[in-house]
Amino acid sequence: MRELIIAELSQVLEEMARGFAHYLPRLIVMLILALAGWLIAYVAKIILRSILRLIQFDRLSENAGASQLLNKAALPSATEVLSRFVFWVVWLGFILLGVSVLGILGLQEQVAKFFIFLPRLFVAMFIFFFGLLAATFFSRAVLLASVNANVPSPRFLSLAVRTVIIVFVLSIVFEELGLAEQTMLVAFGIVFGALMLGLAIAFGLGGRDLAQAFLERRFLRISKDENEDELSPL
Amino acid sequence: MPLNEDALWYKDAVIYQVHVRTFQDSNGDGIGDFQGLEQKLGYLQELGINAIWLMPFFPSPLRDDGYDIADYCSVHSSYGTLEDFRKLLESAHHRGIRIIIEMVLNHTSDQHPWFQESRSSTDNPRRDWYVWSDTDNRYKGTRIIFLDTEKSNWAWDPISKAYYWHRFFSHQPDLNYDNPAVREQMWQVMSFWLEMGVDGFRLDAVPYLVEREGTHCENLPETHAVLKDLRRRLDEQYPGRMLLAEANQWPTDLRPYFGDGDEFHMAFHFPLMPRMFMGLKLEDRKPITEILQQTPEIPATCQWSLFLRNHDELTLEMVTDMERDYMYDSYAEDKTMRINLGIRRRLAPLLQNDRRRIELMNGMLMSLPGTPIIYYGDEIGMGDNINLGDRNGVRTPMQWSGGWDAGFSTAEPDRLYAPLIQNPVYGYPAVNVLSQIGSDHSLLRWMQRIILVRRSSAVFGRGSIEFIHPANHRILAYIRRLGNEAVLAVNNLSGAAQAVELDMRKYKGNILIEMFGKNIFPRVSDQPYLLTMGPYQFYWFKLRRV
Amino acid sequence: MAEENLLTDDFVRQLINVGEVDILVGLPTYNNAKTIGAVVQSVQSGILRWFPRERAVIINADGGSRDGTPGLVTGVSIDDMRPVASMNALRTLHSISTQYANTPANGVALRSILAAAELLRAKACVVISPDSENIEGEWLWRLLRPVYKDGFDFVTPTYHRHKFDGLLVTNLLYPMTRALYGLRIREPYTSEYGFSGNLGSQFLARNPWEDKSNDSWGELRFTLEAIRERSRICQAFLGNKHHVERRPSDLVPALRQTVGPLFSALDSDFSIWSSVTGSQPIGTTGPDSPELLEPVRVNRKRLREMFSSGVADLSSVFQSILAASTLSELQRIARQSETEFEYSAELWVRTVYEFAASYRKSVINRDHIIQALAPLFRGRAFTFITENRNGSAADVENNIESLCLEFERLKPYLLQMWRSGQ
Repeated sequence: MRELIIAELSQVLEEMARGFAHYLPRLIVMLILALAGWLIAYVAKIILRSILRLIQFDRLSENAGASQLLNKAALPSATEVLSRFVFWVVWLGFILLGVSVLGILGLQEQVAKFFIFLPRLFVAMFIFFFGLLAATFFSRAVLLASVNANVPSPRFLSLAVRTVIIVFVLSIVFEELGLAEQTMLVAFGIVFGALMLGLAIAFGLGGRDLAQAFLERRFLRISKDENEDELSPL
Repeated sequence: MPLNEDALWYKDAVIYQVHVRTFQDSNGDGIGDFQGLEQKLGYLQELGINAIWLMPFFPSPLRDDGYDIADYCSVHSSYGTLEDFRKLLESAHHRGIRIIIEMVLNHTSDQHPWFQESRSSTDNPRRDWYVWSDTDNRYKGTRIIFLDTEKSNWAWDPISKAYYWHRFFSHQPDLNYDNPAVREQMWQVMSFWLEMGVDGFRLDAVPYLVEREGTHCENLPETHAVLKDLRRRLDEQYPGRMLLAEANQWPTDLRPYFGDGDEFHMAFHFPLMPRMFMGLKLEDRKPITEILQQTPEIPATCQWSLFLRNHDELTLEMVTDMERDYMYDSYAEDKTMRINLGIRRRLAPLLQNDRRRIELMNGMLMSLPGTPIIYYGDEIGMGDNINLGDRNGVRTPMQWSGGWDAGFSTAEPDRLYAPLIQNPVYGYPAVNVLSQIGSDHSLLRWMQRIILVRRSSAVFGRGSIEFIHPANHRILAYIRRLGNEAVLAVNNLSGAAQAVELDMRKYKGNILIEMFGKNIFPRVSDQPYLLTMGPYQFYWFKLRRV
Repeated sequence: MAEENLLTDDFVRQLINVGEVDILVGLPTYNNAKTIGAVVQSVQSGILRWFPRERAVIINADGGSRDGTPGLVTGVSIDDMRPVASMNALRTLHSISTQYANTPANGVALRSILAAAELLRAKACVVISPDSENIEGEWLWRLLRPVYKDGFDFVTPTYHRHKFDGLLVTNLLYPMTRALYGLRIREPYTSEYGFSGNLGSQFLARNPWEDKSNDSWGELRFTLEAIRERSRICQAFLGNKHHVERRPSDLVPALRQTVGPLFSALDSDFSIWSSVTGSQPIGTTGPDSPELLEPVRVNRKRLREMFSSGVADLSSVFQSILAASTLSELQRIARQSETEFEYSAELWVRTVYEFAASYRKSVINRDHIIQALAPLFRGRAFTFITENRNGSAADVENNIESLCLEFERLKPYLLQMWRSGQ
């Protein structure tokens, strides 16, 4: 009995060792791939960064207004963002390549899926990023406008705008990622609201003065009642 | 070349104004005379003028350039004899040139025998020939014309112990036109000269003939009655002769002097002249068009007479105070150039001897409605001498050549009635007839040409005027029309080149023919007619349908 | 690409007809039919009275009025077509109008006027506000004479104003431009000013019209340009500035038109203002210190309320603009009761400087930065009004003077922020 146990154990150990010996080279290859990938990614990042700096990409993006957007999202400069993104994509690619070398069934499929999924992810990230920016921008615009027009609860208004925009953006992102089967319904529900918001934004941008006049007509009655002189700032 | 017999000859005339003293001295006494003038008629004929206005040549103490007449029916001995004048008249008529003489109706010299009789005693039969008064308080509302020299219109006569009325200098007592004998006598004087053959009178100082209490004693109906009577007699006995009024008044006040064509034939347009100078300085047509728009219509037989300069100062009586100040500052910064309410300068110095401006001003003179008068010497661009007193600076001897006495006389230069212009720019060696005749491009030659062009068409003398109002205010443009004939005159009052668009739709289909070079310009269409004008340039175009 | 022109063909044709001028009066308008009649009459009589001999033109740059404003302006032309009314005028006076766009834009209007001035070789120009109800002909003389006769390049006005009128000028624009550029220009932002043709041309050359980014720039830029060019500047006292009732929400547009250009000018003008310390007075014709008119009733309570709620609501925005210490100080005074509330000069100056620095760095959208200043300005206005409620003219002047000195004293703080951001 004891021998049997020992024999089984040693067989297991042997199989483990054999298995390990079988996997070790692949693991090492994977590690090497990961390491090399990191190196390559890092070099790619360095090269990209210096190229971008050389062509003064930051100034370019500033002129295009992208830097302002990054600023508002509390992100570093455009050069940094781009080179870091490239670094991660390259490295992740190598890691996944290494994982596939391990030859684990199913995993390979997932890796292949990842590479097919990558462009959509990229687009989704892009939409999300700018959606977030838009949400910040418009919610702040609403906040400032309502504070200066002395509209009650400006923070609530601002938050409402922000929420609506983010929900809207998320629905688009999910759809882009293909996780939309269920969210489609929700998104559909939101579309109406989003449409209204779109109109509101258009109204706000295109007819700022009109909106201002409207707001004044709406809210100025109070101050008229007070019958006080208003001072000219200039 | 006999005189043309047209009774409206004065409408087509180009008149040359000259004082016999200043033109040519034939006997070497330093003073111009009738014989000298007669010798120079050829020059005037060549210039193209067809009438001479002779300034007063009557016996006179010459305290007012001859306007103080001591004998109406004779000539001053310095200028020759009555016979000399008769010969001058004949020669001139022979050359197709008419002679207009000066007649001072309003006043005489205090040396005139009439006044000597009148002042001699209060019961002299001629006492009533002048305006006497025991006080100097009558006619208080009357302005004083010679502000620089006279304090009152009344002067005290120590002989008859009374005041006599004078609108001008105190040595020029006014005749009393309320007295029928005076009116009759003055007509006799005029018929004396008409009988001799003179073609017209320039009647001096006509607004002031009659005085009435409570008025400003100018332009009174009684004065008009006197003048109408003279005209009636003239038309009855001497048809075809002409009366020219000197009345420095606004156009609307001047209008009555034409009556219904039964008073004066012509009158000077005094307010226009300073405004032409003003428009030129301002580079703006407004002063000119404004005064012409305020100028009333006159009877068909009547005519304005236009001038740039004459023997008097450039008078600024008929302008506003603001305009006068502007004119003084622009044309007479040196105060010695000013006299009374005016500027005592000749044309060329006023325009800084700028040939282009001189041409432009003459161009307007010849193309605006009226009969132009050229002051002697201005056709060669003579200068003046502001160091001579009064207005004598513009009455210096004519400059015929660069030689002895400028060809004016053979007398010692010191004996000339007035010194010659000597300065390097306007002096007779630089500016004279002889040298200008030799050059085709001289001012004299140019004046000959423009007079020729003007006389080539009756439209200038007799046509109507219609202003075109281009938006460019530096361009003065007008159309003169007579029957089917039309002439477009365009003047650039600015010293810079200008583009101008003329609204000529009324004349659509006409082609323009430039009247000096006879070149053809594009046809007038519905579009604004675009012209580009050089500095101070002017064009005369004949409109023709082909 | 089709060539675009700033001036229309029709306008150019009108300019050809006007020709060279000595005096140019610019009138930017937009639906000003109610007031423009009186303004142009005054302008016309001013020209006839004070510049009868000069060649003058009135140029109206209209932003698409639908109430017949341009017609009222061109109606004061004097030419030979209207002889009777103009007997006292020596020369033609052109009054012409151009519609530069269908919507009003200060910058384009001014640029049209400047371009016309350049083409007409105008020696001295003046811009007059179309709603100056109490304009007198003499204003032209006061604004133009220094340029036309005395060789100045730029003339800004001073007015008799109510002590609380123009608080943005007295509490920000005047002290800040003074501290930065070292010149005591009392009305750096004004709708009435005189300038030389040369200065106008320089300004035009520096701001080519093809560069549309400046379409909304206002008159403040012109003042700054004059300073930048080291022009000869003087001030002219004009008289009363009528109290025009403005709606309270006008504050934000006012900030946009004034503080915006001022902040953005700081970047390009760093080399100029960084080396300036202290300030110099500039020559003024007429009374030096403005006399103050009868009081107006002010809703101070509302000012403070809008300040307090603004500080609370906008704290997230202020966090990115202001230094932490400044923000906490603001939050502290926002909680104070009305009687003890005080927005001190020093705190105000620090606030403004930090806004300027953040504006340069574009920490958030620049327009949002300008809008965020509005509630804080209201707080400062409250304190200013409270401090000077019973003050005499001299007291108010002293108060403004000490605020100016505070701006000058704290200038190193701005410089330090600027340099650290570079």
